[in-house]
Amino acid sequence: MAEYLPAAKVSEIPDPGRLLVELDDRLIVVLHAAGSFYALDDICTHDGGPLSDGELDTEDLSIACPRHGAKFSLRDGAAMTMPAIQPTVSHEVKIEDDTVMVKLNDS
Amino acid sequence: MSQAIASAAFSPAAFEAHLASQNEPAWLRERRQASHAAFEEMPMPGMGDEEWMRTDIRLFHLDRYCPPAEAPSESIAEPLLSRGVELGGDMVRADGHLLTSSLAEKWASQGVLYGSLRVLVAEHGDLLRPFFERQVVDARYDRFAALSDAWWSGGTLLYVPRGVVIDEPLHMISAMSDGGADLGRTLVVLEDGAEATLLAETASPNEEAGGMHCGTVELIVGDNAFLRYVNLQNWGSKAWHFSHQKAVIGRDARIQWTIGALGSRVAKVNQHVALAGEGADAQVNGVMFTEGKQHLSYHTLQHHQAPHCHSNLLYNGGLQDKSRIVWRGMIKVDTEAQLTDGFQRNDSLMLDPDARSDSIPGLEIKADDVRCTHGSTAGRVDEEMIFYARCRGYTRQEAIRTIVAGFFQQVYDRITIPSVREALGQAVGQRIREYE
Repeated sequence: MAEYLPAAKVSEIPDPGRLLVELDDRLIVVLHAAGSFYALDDICTHDGGPLSDGELDTEDLSIACPRHGAKFSLRDGAAMTMPAIQPTVSHEVKIEDDTVMVKLNDS
Repeated sequence: MSQAIASAAFSPAAFEAHLASQNEPAWLRERRQASHAAFEEMPMPGMGDEEWMRTDIRLFHLDRYCPPAEAPSESIAEPLLSRGVELGGDMVRADGHLLTSSLAEKWASQGVLYGSLRVLVAEHGDLLRPFFERQVVDARYDRFAALSDAWWSGGTLLYVPRGVVIDEPLHMISAMSDGGADLGRTLVVLEDGAEATLLAETASPNEEAGGMHCGTVELIVGDNAFLRYVNLQNWGSKAWHFSHQKAVIGRDARIQWTIGALGSRVAKVNQHVALAGEGADAQVNGVMFTEGKQHLSYHTLQHHQAPHCHSNLLYNGGLQDKSRIVWRGMIKVDTEAQLTDGFQRNDSLMLDPDARSDSIPGLEIKADDVRCTHGSTAGRVDEEMIFYARCRGYTRQEAIRTIVAGFFQQVYDRITIPSVREALGQAVGQRIREYE
């Protein structure tokens, strides 16, 4: 059973903003948008490239892969546009005091 | 994400201490110093680089590894390739250090050198210097190549004088402790008309061991010479493996180069064959099998530099779980390399829907009278083949296992050394899951 791991201080990630962190030997992009925090694997499922430098859309709550523009939902990692057709892995997030805590999804 | 990583273990001060411990000729010391300076300046490859855009090494931290100071007291892994083979020589290395080395007197008396590169370059510096100076592997290709050129330790040398035919395989195993570092370097030189077979394998003490290997393999095959070289990469599943490997083939010379890629967490390998002399012939065989979250990235180049050369590459990969194989192959034909016959093929068998194979064959041809063909396939186990096997009494699991074995058989059939065929078949067979 995965536990929540401290990923960042709330103050480290402005709204909107993102921070790439290493958690348990994985690269996770922690995102702050429209008042909420999210966490996704830093992997575009289209070609395996990194998502973390992509454009963040605070209206439809998505991040676009900087390589080919595939959009992924911040809420659940769902692939919203081509060329990606598989979701990226999303992780549960909670705030404890001033810390963003992430529970890694093992899938 | 490209950035130079400061590492105390590989700092200039540590490097000077490393140099002082090597007892090497001045020319080699100077070369190491130049490569270390380049290493200090070069950025770590990043995903913005074409060759690295499919291989993520952001979780690799060089500063977590140290050049091994002392050798383990005994061998830390069992060899696979030498079982039941009458050997002409054998070597055991651990964490880059030589543990044992032997060469049959009948070969030593003919001038053959086989053993630790570090030891032999100190004893035969004048003989070996021209081969180092050929810079077969470009030490400035990337940061890993520079690191290897500056920091290599131990290593393996096989030198076969003109006309000497070694009709018994030579073997070496290089093992790495869990969490350790291996900076081995291999240099093979076959003078004109020589023949030899070298079975090289890497291993870890257990299947889940980690560590870092950063090394180079240089194969120099003289005119009319024939080299069979086998390289079985079988590191533990948490190891990082970075390797630059290149062969230069002389006039009417031949190489049969077989790669088995089974281990490591992430492997990034450049395997180049330069057909430098007229009529040179290269056969390249690859067997890759991955599982878990392994990521193996192999970049091959068949470089035709002279007329009438022949190259034939076949890489087969089987992928399980969420593993990924990247194969990027190029046949490059220079303007003067007329009447080239080049072939490359990569087939991938997808055993799990979450596995991923990136297969990218390429041709770059400047001559106008050549035949170059390439191809690539990827697919799952054919349900009709399973049905056919089940009609003859196989269970589904037995059918899949047999089909997977058959998939690799087309590569095994090209390998002329029985122990290598058996070792590869056994290693792959142990990894195949029981699929429903």
